[in-house]
Order: sequence, then C-alpha cells, then structure tokens
Amino acid sequence: MTKPSCEDTTLVRARDLHHGYFSFTFAPYPRVAECHPGSFVHVQLTSTDIYLRRAMSVASVNTRRHELEIIFKVFGRGTAALSRFTTGSKVNILGPLGVGFSKPRSTYHPVLVAGGVGFPPLMFLAQQMIDDGMDPKNIHFFYGGRSERDLVERARIKKMGIRFYPATDDGSLGDKGLVTKSVEKFIKDHHAKERLRLYGCGPEPMLKAVDELGMQYGVAGQISLESPMPCGIGICLGCVVKLRVGGHARVCCEGPVFEIGEVVL
Amino acid sequence: MTPDLRVTIAGVEFANPVMTASGCCNYGEELAQVFPLSKLGALVTKSITLKPRLGHPVPRTAETASGMLNAIGLANVGIDAFIKDKIPFLEKQKTKIIVNVAGATINEYVEVSARLADIGRVDILEINISCPNVDEGGLEFGQSPALTEKCIAGVRKVFPRPIIAKLAPNVTDITQIADAAHQGGADAFAVINSLVGTSVDIDTWRPRLTNNRGGLTGPAIKPIALAMVDKVYTKCKLPIIGIGGISTYRDVIEFLLVGATAVQVGTALFVEPDAPVKIVEGLKEYMKTKKLSHINDMIGKVRKYT
Ligand SMILES: Cc1cc2nc3c(=O)[nH]c(=O)nc-3n(C[C@H](O)[C@H](O)[C@H](O)COP(=O)(O)OP(=O)(O)OC[C@H]3O[C@@H](n4cnc5c(N)ncnc54)[C@H](O)[C@@H]3O)c2cc1C
Ligand SMILES: Cc1cc2nc3c(=O)[nH]c(=O)nc-3n(C[C@H](O)[C@H](O)[C@H](O)COP(=O)(O)O)c2cc1C
Ligand code: FES
Repeated sequence: MTKPSCEDTTLVRARDLHHGYFSFTFAPYPRVAECHPGSFVHVQLTSTDIYLRRAMSVASVNTRRHELEIIFKVFGRGTAALSRFTTGSKVNILGPLGVGFSKPRSTYHPVLVAGGVGFPPLMFLAQQMIDDGMDPKNIHFFYGGRSERDLVERARIKKMGIRFYPATDDGSLGDKGLVTKSVEKFIKDHHAKERLRLYGCGPEPMLKAVDELGMQYGVAGQISLESPMPCGIGICLGCVVKLRVGGHARVCCEGPVFEIGEVVL
Repeated sequence: MTPDLRVTIAGVEFANPVMTASGCCNYGEELAQVFPLSKLGALVTKSITLKPRLGHPVPRTAETASGMLNAIGLANVGIDAFIKDKIPFLEKQKTKIIVNVAGATINEYVEVSARLADIGRVDILEINISCPNVDEGGLEFGQSPALTEKCIAGVRKVFPRPIIAKLAPNVTDITQIADAAHQGGADAFAVINSLVGTSVDIDTWRPRLTNNRGGLTGPAIKPIALAMVDKVYTKCKLPIIGIGGISTYRDVIEFLLVGATAVQVGTALFVEPDAPVKIVEGLKEYMKTKKLSHINDMIGKVRKYT
C-alpha cells in the first residue's frame, strides 16, 4: 500500500472538452511517479454543501514536470463545483489511492473497453503500455457512449496509434448499439488466434457485460469499479462490493481495479 | 514554555485530548500509513460485535450539507478475528487503545467485553449503546435508562479497567441516560453518537441509503453536540469525551470550554486524514498565545451569561 498524503497543488491548465467534460492539470504534484493506470486521487471541494472529496482517476502524468491530469464530466453538484475552479486555484489532493491495473506481457493483445467518462484510466493504461514497448497496433481501444458528443478526446486516443473502435447508442459514430456488443464480436473473431486481455472502466451495466464476456469466453482481465467514496483510504467502510468468494472488499483500497469474475455486480 | 496537553480520565493518562472516533478509523492500520498513531491521545476502534458483520448493502453513505449520513450497519470482523488479526497491530502502537463494543443483546456486550478483559493492552472499553444503524440493540439500549444501566453493569462485572458509555443524542433527556450509565458503573461519557436522519433522491424517489435512514455526522451536528456536552457537564458527574463535527483545533476548544476533557474526531478524518495532527499543533499554538499552561485551564471554563 502506498502511503496516501494530502498535498496542496495548483490548477495549471483547465481545458473545456465540451459537452460537460473537462480536463484539469495540477502541478506541482510531488507524487506523480507513484500514480499508475487505475490509481485515483481524492479532490477536495471546500464548500458547505460539498463536504466530502470526489474521487478522480488519474488520466495522465508528466513525471518531469510533476503534472497530474484528471478528466471529469459534470454530473452532480460535486463535479459542477469542480468545474468552476479556474487556473491558478489552489486545490488539495489526497493520493495516490487504490490498486491500479496490472499490465499484460507484451505478447498479449489488450482489449480496452471504455464507457463514457470511464475512458481516462484506460487512456493512461494504453499510453503506459506503449511507453513500456508494446506495439500500439496490438492495443484495441473500444470506446462507447450515448452519442458522438460523449466520446471526447478521440483525436488524442487515435494519435497513440492504437486500434480505435467507437460505438454509440444512436449510431452517430462507429458501431450503433452497446460497446460491449462490438467487443463480443471482436472476441469471437480473435480469441482463437490471439491472447487477449480485457480491461474495462465505465458505467456498472457495461462492466457487468465485460465481466460476463470475460467469463463466457475465458478471457482474463480487469475492471475498475466506482462506489460512493467518503474517505478513499479504507477507514469508513462505505464503498464495499461483494466478492464471489464471499465477504466484502473496499473499492477504494482493495480496488478500484478487480479481476474479471472476482466481484458480484 | 511548552503547554501541557496531557489529560487524565478515570486514572488513564492520555498524551493529548485528541482521539479518533469509532467507525472512522477502522482498526488503525490505514491511518498509521498517514501519520504515526503516537500523535493521538487514543485510538478508538470500530464497534466490535460477537460475530463478524458485513453491514448493510451500498449505498450506505450519502453526503449532506456540511456532513454525511451513514448506515454502515456495524460492519466489523467480529471479536475472534479482532483479537487474532487486529490486536497484534494495536499492541505495537504508542497510544492508548480504546475498543468500542456493540451488541444486539446485553449478553453479547458482556461476552465481547469479557474477551477483551484478558488483553491488557486494551486500556479502556467504549460501550456503544447508541448506534442508530441496527434494528436490534443499539439505540434501544441508549434510549432506555433501565437498559443502559443493566448493560453497563453487565460489562462492569467482567471488565476491570475503565468503561466509557457512548450516549445517543436521539433522546428526550440525555442526562437521564448518562446518570443511568453512571449508576451501572461507567467511568466516563462519550457524547455524542450520530443523529438519526435520512435523504431522498428526487429522481428515483428512493432513500439515498438502502437502510432507509442513517446517522448524521460531520460539522452539521457540532452545535447539537456542544449543547449536549454542556448539558451533561452541568448535570452529571463523570468526565466527558466530546464528539460531533470536530475538524479543527478551534472546534476542540469549544468542546473543552463547555466541559469535555477530551474529544474524538470522526467524519473529518475522511476529508483530512491527518486532521488530528493539525489539531494537536493548533491546540499548542493557541495555548501559547493565550498563555495557558494546561488543558485543564479550559475545561468547563465557558463564560456563560447569567
Ligand atoms: C475510483 C473512482 C474514480 C473516479 N474517476 C472519475 C473520473 O475520472 N472522472 C469522473 O468524471 N468521475 C469519476 N468518478 C466519479 C466521481 O468521483 C463522482 O462521484 C461522480 O462523478 C458523481 O458526481 P458528483 O460528485 O458531481 O455528484 P454528486 O451528486 O455531488 O455526488 C454526491 C455523492 O454521491 C457519490 N456518488 C454518487 N454516485 C457515485 C458513483 N457512481 N461513483 C462514485 N461516487 C458516487 C459521490 O461520491 C458524492 O459523495 C470516479 C469515482 C471513483 C469511485
Ligand atoms: C462511517 C461512520 C461509521 C461509524 N461507526 C461507528 C461505530 O461503529 N460505532 C460507534 O460507536 N460510532 C460510530 N460512528 C459514530 C462516530 O464515532 C461519531 O460518534 C460520529 O460520527 C460523530 O462525530 P463526527 O461528527 O466527528 O463524525 C460512525 C460514524 C461514521 C461517519
Ligand atoms: S471510501 Fe471509505 S472505505 Fe472506501
């Protein structure tokens, strides 16, 4: 377990990605080197009606410049308050938190399945796999959303040179329908020839489908879960999930990344 | 001159008056990653019951204005696993160890307490007769003077070291319950546990907690907690550990002034896990500025209007 700490940092770049999505870069964040794909930070929002921190996955780091990026979508009052921070604002970050994704060996073909605002940790994972020497052509990135507008940062993901498969509920971009339908077709076509590894992050119904696909086709992998997280460090017991072997695990510290087949969704 | 932060409750001396609140630091291991627990006056564990409990299904927490609701449902490892897996860690910590005990029946409280009596490193028991999050026991004990007395008296017989009775705020007159706990043999009061509350999602028309209601905690409850401490201090005889919405040293001083000898920090740990360390530093600075040499110089010293 990495020791979490509260660090004051500054919002140095705020990009409006449109349609309610924002990218925030904080610096200097002294602990960037300890952030891994799937790690998250707990961002403090000081206001009377927003007492608790909000969990945000690490979307990228720049270790040389000590920069940490998060990407979020305005959803409720917490993320709305976050979006109102302006560059130069001091923000307190508790982290790095959680157990992240384990990277596959280079002979594997990772299949990344992102749903909506679940894409940032998977984008980070793809980048790290490339940095570690994996051929980008072997990385398959499925990205699903309601419509084209929900699939933000597409240009950035495509620029990595990885294989990119968008899917939208309304058919405005890529396959029409649930992204997991496209993933299933891909698994059927490829799992006999290639050693696949599934990685999922997104809304719970999507994760449930990824989990089931993994078990049905015998493809191992991991999914990153969300849960209401008051503390993020394992002391409140508010964030638990049921394990298939029985008992509970805390999403914030035993997770947020779990093996396919490990949790009851 | 460095101010003296030591306080004594029922013969037990604490390095400072700042403790963690039950259910807000698990069994201490996680917070030990954030700061050395020796910085605390005492660590108070999650409520321990006879059998392990998983608690209520999620969502079992919900944010509210200046606080939160929880209905964790006394999730804990149970007394056997606590003694086997958690005590070895706690024994090594250079702070006082207070184990919080809960149960559905008086027998359960007594049985758990008897097991803890044999472990010398458990300095004090805190008896949770006030949890709003279980159907059985808990509040029911805390709302009845007779049951409170019986429960504390039962524990008193089997546990040779000091006992703190943790009182519920959801009662007509908290001093009646406090007096009953005193009668039963308690050595101190912890005031207060969380207040019953709920919250509803207007999109789904569902309560935000699967338990339908939970306990309100955090800064929102501080004024209520202060008034309760004041009331107990004025009418009852035992030392008080003040709890409710404490997040800074300033909050602590308010509690001391109305009569608390020590305090516990709960929900604030979720937002600032190192809050106790900052609080202790803040207390020292305040005492230096005010030229106070001892914590006792503040306890109960509120200058009330007459
Ligand atoms: C490990 C982890 C990583 C996350 N990463 C991101 C990210 O990269 N980008 C992003 O936009 N969002 C992310 N989230 C979700 C984010 O933390 C917010 O909780 C969520 O967007 C709700 O928005 P809000 O705070 O505006 O809602 P509010 O209505 O203000 O939230 C109220 C409360 O509900 C809790 N809550 C409600 N639903 C959820 C949920 N599904 N998951 C977690 N908490 C919930 C919140 O913690 C908060 O306490 C992540 C959550 C977790 C647990
Ligand atoms: C998530 C959570 C779990 C709690 N669990 C317990 C518990 O197991 N036993 C207990 O006596 N009190 C429990 N409490 C109550 C606290 O110990 C404390 O009395 C209350 O939170 C008020 O203090 P605060 O405002 O500083 O949090 C819990 C509180 C919270 C927020
Ligand atoms: S968020 Fe508190 S234990 Fe996980």
